Amino acid sequence: MTRRALRAIVTTRLWAERRAILFACATAAIVGFIQPHGIAAITDPLTADVATRSVWLAGPMFFCSAIGVALALAQGPGRRGYLDSGERSAPLFGRELARAKAIAPSIAATLTALVYWFAQYLSGFAAPPTFFVLALACVYATTLVALNATVYRGGKRALALGLCAGTVAAAYALSVYADPLQTQRGDAIGVATELAFCAIVGFLGLRQYGEGLAHFDPIDPSTGSG
Amino acid sequence: MPILRMRDASYVSHGVTLASRVTLDVNPGDRVTLRAASAGEAEAVAMMAAALIHPSSGSVEIGEYDSRVQAAHCKRLVGFVPHDPLPLREMGFDRYIQYRAALWDIDSQRARAVANVLLERLRGMHEAFAYPLVGALVANPAMLVLDRPQPTDREAIAAAAGPCAIFETQFGTEA
Repeated sequence: MTRRALRAIVTTRLWAERRAILFACATAAIVGFIQPHGIAAITDPLTADVATRSVWLAGPMFFCSAIGVALALAQGPGRRGYLDSGERSAPLFGRELARAKAIAPSIAATLTALVYWFAQYLSGFAAPPTFFVLALACVYATTLVALNATVYRGGKRALALGLCAGTVAAAYALSVYADPLQTQRGDAIGVATELAFCAIVGFLGLRQYGEGLAHFDPIDPSTGSG
Repeated sequence: MPILRMRDASYVSHGVTLASRVTLDVNPGDRVTLRAASAGEAEAVAMMAAALIHPSSGSVEIGEYDSRVQAAHCKRLVGFVPHDPLPLREMGFDRYIQYRAALWDIDSQRARAVANVLLERLRGMHEAFAYPLVGALVANPAMLVLDRPQPTDREAIAAAAGPCAIFETQFGTEA
């Protein structure tokens, strides 16, 4: 696949979903402003550390991942039939097309997470960059898994969406509670395990999406239209 | 040697047989119309002919390539025009041609020049149907595959396609 084709697919998809992306960013700004950041007074520094992470990561991880899932589902068949048709009839391999199609919702989800982070910053609760990286890794993994829901129907689609929920929950749990012994290295362990988990899940999600896209049946037998 | 060679090609979608044992050849310069029993069959056969889907059984060869294993090569030889019109509010002509040119890796200037000539030949045809046809032809395919085109556009399509072979599907009153 040429860079030009990749750029054309990504920019055209982003342009087609510009209203949804704008809406997602506006919603992220509002939620970023109103998300509660306060924690109860805790004297034990380790408990306070876990409490901070649990409160500060909950918003961006769950909210931005939900937005990532929604933006991924917006790429589903039928919504932009003219783009689906153009991409499918182009001389591209399934895995190339999968990569290109995955970039657009990932960029949109990144934008949403950035707006969320900026809103937090403006409201006086600037989350540390590490938290942003953790949230972003979670959003990428969830978005890539959610793309699978666009190429399957019925039970498999429900399974893909269930895996999205599982991915967010697992990423959140790892980044907050990964260190069961509450050692001084809690942050490092949490960050490392969450990033590793999200990288593996994201890679598997993208790979499966490529497979699903290669075997995707665009025809709806009940209506005879793709 | 035929550009399209279908042998007992069947397509089953979610347990429903849409196309059953279709056998046909399309040679260079031919104009072939397949009259389908249902819209689903028309769409399935057109998509198989353009290597967009693989036959569930039987074989589809485009040029020298097997569509099941060399779909990307097959798509270089085919220009596919879907049944649905292009939503003009979403994409203007120039933007659409640039998009198609990028996907097929065709020179932008050349694509624009060819597209304007083709659009001129299709004057009178509704833009929502003309743009996808022009988009398919700018890549200079050996065969044009049309899924249930408007019967009234038949002459205009033939004029625009020139020496390119045409394979179209039709269904019901469209046929």
